[in-house]
Amino acid sequence: MDKDKIILSIAIGFVCVILIAIMFTQFKTIDEADIVGITTAREDELTTMLATWKQKQAELQEQLDSTRQRIDEYNEKISSNQAAEELLQDELEQTNMLTGQTDVEGEGIVLTLSDAERSVTYEDLLELINELRGAGAEAISINDQRIINMTEIVDANAILVNQERVVSPYIVKAIGGITYLTSAINQKNIGFVDVRRGSGINVQLEESKNVKISAYSGRRSQLEFRYAKEVEE
Amino acid sequence: MKNKSKAAIVISISCALLTVGIIVQLNTMKDLNKTVGGEDFAQSDLRDEVLRWKEKYDNTAKEIEEAEKQLAEVREKSTENDDGLSETEQQIKNNYNLLGTTNLEGSGVEITVTDDKDINPSTASALINLGNYIVHYSDIMQIVNELKNAGAEAISVNGQRIVRTTSIRCIGNVIMINDEKVGAPFTIRAIGLPEMLEPALTRLGGYLQVLNDAGLETDVKRLDKVEIPKYTGAFQAKYMKTVK
Repeated sequence: MDKDKIILSIAIGFVCVILIAIMFTQFKTIDEADIVGITTAREDELTTMLATWKQKQAELQEQLDSTRQRIDEYNEKISSNQAAEELLQDELEQTNMLTGQTDVEGEGIVLTLSDAERSVTYEDLLELINELRGAGAEAISINDQRIINMTEIVDANAILVNQERVVSPYIVKAIGGITYLTSAINQKNIGFVDVRRGSGINVQLEESKNVKISAYSGRRSQLEFRYAKEVEE
Repeated sequence: MKNKSKAAIVISISCALLTVGIIVQLNTMKDLNKTVGGEDFAQSDLRDEVLRWKEKYDNTAKEIEEAEKQLAEVREKSTENDDGLSETEQQIKNNYNLLGTTNLEGSGVEITVTDDKDINPSTASALINLGNYIVHYSDIMQIVNELKNAGAEAISVNGQRIVRTTSIRCIGNVIMINDEKVGAPFTIRAIGLPEMLEPALTRLGGYLQVLNDAGLETDVKRLDKVEIPKYTGAFQAKYMKTVK
């Protein structure tokens, strides 16, 4: 009777140990599969890409329509022998705005970055501008230095933007859709705000219905090409 | 006897539980394998649709190119006999060059950055340090920033024009510029004064040296003529307005 009991207990114990071992292996495999699990990411990626290209196509179509409308308007002036002054002025103003040569306003966000456990670096600002652009910012400035296409942000003992020295606190303004801008930089743990706060600088985010950003005031050479010419076809 | 049946019940219950556990696990694994391995229909449908929209976009981009040419013609024609207006017309053209909606050419540099060819992912240390041997989005961002600082007037990365809305990002291990995938080798072109652009990158402690030290291959050429293509996308002003 005692012998039977001992054998039985050993058998049960043995079986249990084996089964538990198998289950642990399985759990581990699933853990690893999830880390490498690109499928879900892939489908997400495709969904995002689809939304992106749909939107880009819609924007392009809008631009095509307005370009064609402009052509018609110029043609009208030409055929009626009228001066196209207004049309030209309108196109000039539009392109001046897009290239950062006018003061602009609109909804957007204001971020304040300041030195804390560590100093804010030019790379923080470079990354931030990159993320704001990705989130569809239409106009950006750092301490009132307008960020245009060819604006550089460099470290030469101090941070220089458009070759002007900027210092902490850095006030970064961006005009664009508030929802797009905030959701991009506010992503939990991986967004700009969380990452930079975690790395030891202060980041404050404010939403505003009316952000004002001043015109580019840096070197004229950034607005006038000396080396680049349009390719003639 | 009573003890034995008690033991038997306990054993069968725990066996049943463990079996159910294992079956659940196995099923989960099967599902995972299915989605990892094969492309299911939903996904390839999605892929097709992305391609369709991309094609639509490319077609509209071609139409815009035509329309913009026409616009430039009528704009010029409407200002032929008026010096004041011709000046405005020139300013508008200059603005489009700045924006990046025209093809440009001029003197400049061409930089090539290649992932390290010698990495052997079969060695454990290479696998662990793989990040050191490939080009990151931040590397591209840094090079572009250096070029801007050295007075570059126009820049492209693998044919993607850098414009005021361009972001350089990475999704997984893919680098996206203007929402298009770009991959190694990276060819970065810039128009400007070659004597300014080249040293900005190759100087001691310059960014290309940083990349070389990390095991990447880089090359810079000064060129009399560099061509940089236009940006095909639209420029939106949905939220901003000029303050009058």
